[in-house]
Amino acid sequence: MSLRVERRDVDALAHGCALLGSGGGGATTQLELLALGAPWPIEVVPADAVDPATPCLAVALAGSTMVMTERLPGPELLTAAVAAVQRWTGTTAPALCTLEIGGLNGLTGFVVAQGRTLLDADCMGRALPGIDQVSLLVDGVPGLVVATTTGDGVGLVDRPRPMDAEAMVRAALRLSGGTGAVVVGGFTAGDLVEHAVTGSTTRALTLGRAFVAAREASIGNLAAAIGGRLLAQGRIQAVLTDPVDPQVQSFHLLGPGGAVHRLITRTETLALMTDGVLISAAPTILAVLDVRTRAVLQITDLSPAHHIAVIELAAPTWWTDRPERLRRVTPAAYGVTDLEPGASG
Amino acid sequence: MSGIDLPALAAEPADGGLRQVAGPVGGAWPTALLALTEDLLDTDGAGRLAIVATPLPGEPWRVDAMLRRVRDRGYTALAVPDADRLDTGTRRLADRLHLAVLTVARPVELAETCWRLALARDAIVLDLVRRLTAAFRYSAQDLGDLLGHLAAVTGSGVALLDAAGVIDEHGGELAGWLTDRPDLVQHDRWTSIVHTPEVSVATVQVDSPSRPGLRLAFFAPGIGDSQLDALAVAAEIAMPAVAARILIDEVATVTDASVTSDLLRDFLDLGEGHDQEVERRMTERGWRTTGYHLGYRVIGRTRLDTFALLRAVGTALSGLGVESHAAVQGRGITAWLRFVPAPSPRDLERHVHQLRAVHDSLRRSFNVAGGVGSLQADRAGLAATLGEAADAARIAAERSGNNWFVRVDGLGLEQLLLARTENDTFLPAARSLLAPLRGADAAGSRGEADVLLVTLTSYLDHESGIAATAQALGVHRNTVTGRVQRIQEILGVDMHDPGVRLALHLACRAVLR
Repeated sequence: MSLRVERRDVDALAHGCALLGSGGGGATTQLELLALGAPWPIEVVPADAVDPATPCLAVALAGSTMVMTERLPGPELLTAAVAAVQRWTGTTAPALCTLEIGGLNGLTGFVVAQGRTLLDADCMGRALPGIDQVSLLVDGVPGLVVATTTGDGVGLVDRPRPMDAEAMVRAALRLSGGTGAVVVGGFTAGDLVEHAVTGSTTRALTLGRAFVAAREASIGNLAAAIGGRLLAQGRIQAVLTDPVDPQVQSFHLLGPGGAVHRLITRTETLALMTDGVLISAAPTILAVLDVRTRAVLQITDLSPAHHIAVIELAAPTWWTDRPERLRRVTPAAYGVTDLEPGASG
Repeated sequence: MSGIDLPALAAEPADGGLRQVAGPVGGAWPTALLALTEDLLDTDGAGRLAIVATPLPGEPWRVDAMLRRVRDRGYTALAVPDADRLDTGTRRLADRLHLAVLTVARPVELAETCWRLALARDAIVLDLVRRLTAAFRYSAQDLGDLLGHLAAVTGSGVALLDAAGVIDEHGGELAGWLTDRPDLVQHDRWTSIVHTPEVSVATVQVDSPSRPGLRLAFFAPGIGDSQLDALAVAAEIAMPAVAARILIDEVATVTDASVTSDLLRDFLDLGEGHDQEVERRMTERGWRTTGYHLGYRVIGRTRLDTFALLRAVGTALSGLGVESHAAVQGRGITAWLRFVPAPSPRDLERHVHQLRAVHDSLRRSFNVAGGVGSLQADRAGLAATLGEAADAARIAAERSGNNWFVRVDGLGLEQLLLARTENDTFLPAARSLLAPLRGADAAGSRGEADVLLVTLTSYLDHESGIAATAQALGVHRNTVTGRVQRIQEILGVDMHDPGVRLALHLACRAVLR
């Protein structure tokens, strides 16, 4: 059954995407503004509701979300990358989905659909930092093509290994000034059903609607309303940068009962530890809220004395189903060991 | 259950640089367990102290997790290198978990010490005994030196005490503890072991016939049971050495006193003569005759222990900061101060004042009289000032008004002279010699007789000067001439004979006193 998204749903959808961003994925504000100009309402069709042989594209804005707040992204970057992929594959893809539902890319599909069928699926189910974490690449779907905008053009990798795609995209993004567009093509709607996270837009919209409705409730009730679990709340006492990888930070939260919480982050929230016990870790989604304003926060927003709440949302089951998939998204995949569930007894 | 705790470890010389940084204070652990990394620790902590040799990780959340795992396995304390860098969150967590966190610089050393404290008590005793024997290997100069050696090798405090308090102590201050806690020492027991959280004391009676009631104490703050037991053993082993040392010191003192006493007598017996042998012996003792000397003599007014007095005088004089010597002579002590060059009159007064203070302090313990001679130079002077001091002391023994202290100098000489005239033979003789002056004038009242006596005294005082005597008495010089003639007639003596003049002078003084 297809999902009909109205213009007025953009706010709820954006909140849902932000929550699935797990503290990363970029702020949705810019994409919300772009999305308002889209031809609403827009139908979001389940991936299994179209012909499995339908050629499909996965689109995303990529690079530094910090840079995106200054160099505002536009749909024209994506258009160039989409054109390059279609030229390479020799087919016009009538269907499209977003590469990443978490964060700003949750809205990218709506902005660039432009007549294509928007499928209710994505390749991450949350926000993830790497191209090698694209589900289609993780599963090794044959015939994939990955295109990235460069400084003034498009770079394209044919049939890449996940690590090749990651390295090439990173290099291209550096040339294009830190941000750009990534388009994955060469797969079909049927591949999405098997090798991607389905129903992700529905999840984001449901989550967002529940959040907006319960926004004024107590944090505990809010967490329950969105089907999550409140793991910690309190004041950020200290921010400690990892001595090895400066991108890894740990936030010391002082809970109301005196509990010692540590929120460990890299590009997204990675894990929460309370009193030395690992409570939750990626790929489980740890959304961070500002307790006072109820804003869904990015990690870059966190600073000492900030009063925050950490809410756990279930990990996309696509990742947890198989160990070889899970291996790609646990904290160890981010280079942070000893945060695997069960590792700390 | 005895175990190990932080103060006990701190009292050991090899504690690995242990210091508590977080968590509850004041815990005790049955034993400790060392592991290279935290995951190699025994899964059953059983309240023990976990020692991890690998420094703490840099990430605070890793440290949190490690603390939690250590606590969950049942350890109550964790000692690990670099623990002093804990952040506030981890410190808070240590409190929440009731896990004491200690930083240790040398974990293996700490583990070894813990093992000795908790499990190998005999090892501590043996180690201490081995160190004690090392102390005996070095010869000590005296008792204090020996106690200092014992304190140095055991690393604890050593004190010699009796029921009245601490006599001597090294390596710590037991006296301070004893004032607050007299029960730290059980004087009625042969061995007394008292353990308090602040300080632990092991004492044993010193088996010394000449110094009864003495105890040898080993003490240290905050040590554990096993360490205190070891100290008690140490005290029992060291005690005979201390008792022997006391005896040796006493024999040495007596021998030395008798040698110096003989030497002093030989020197004084020589008088003006010279004897190379005596000179040599005096040089050996450091008695030099050159320079300026101030004699000091202390005699007992009743029978007393001259050796004890010699010790007291020697100690008191050594505190004056002047070269001093003392020796037993007869029933008293003869001592002197030596100055090079001659002290100024002001300095001399200060030294005499100091000797008086010495005398006052001696009076607190001994029933003595003291005398000080005058400042004299060189060899003959030394003998002279010692003689003066002896005379002064003899006079002082009769002078309670002066607190039994007399100094021979300008004024004191008169006292000395008078002292000579006070015996039973001189005074009656003087009275009968001068009696005619009182009884000769038939019409004379007593006042008239005293006029002649006073005139005679004044005349002799003024070296037979008629004018000076007249001026002193406030009469005309012819009056004086007349009186002197009458006196000569009455007494029938030759006033130009110096011997006669001296006898008359002394008699006048004695009678007029």
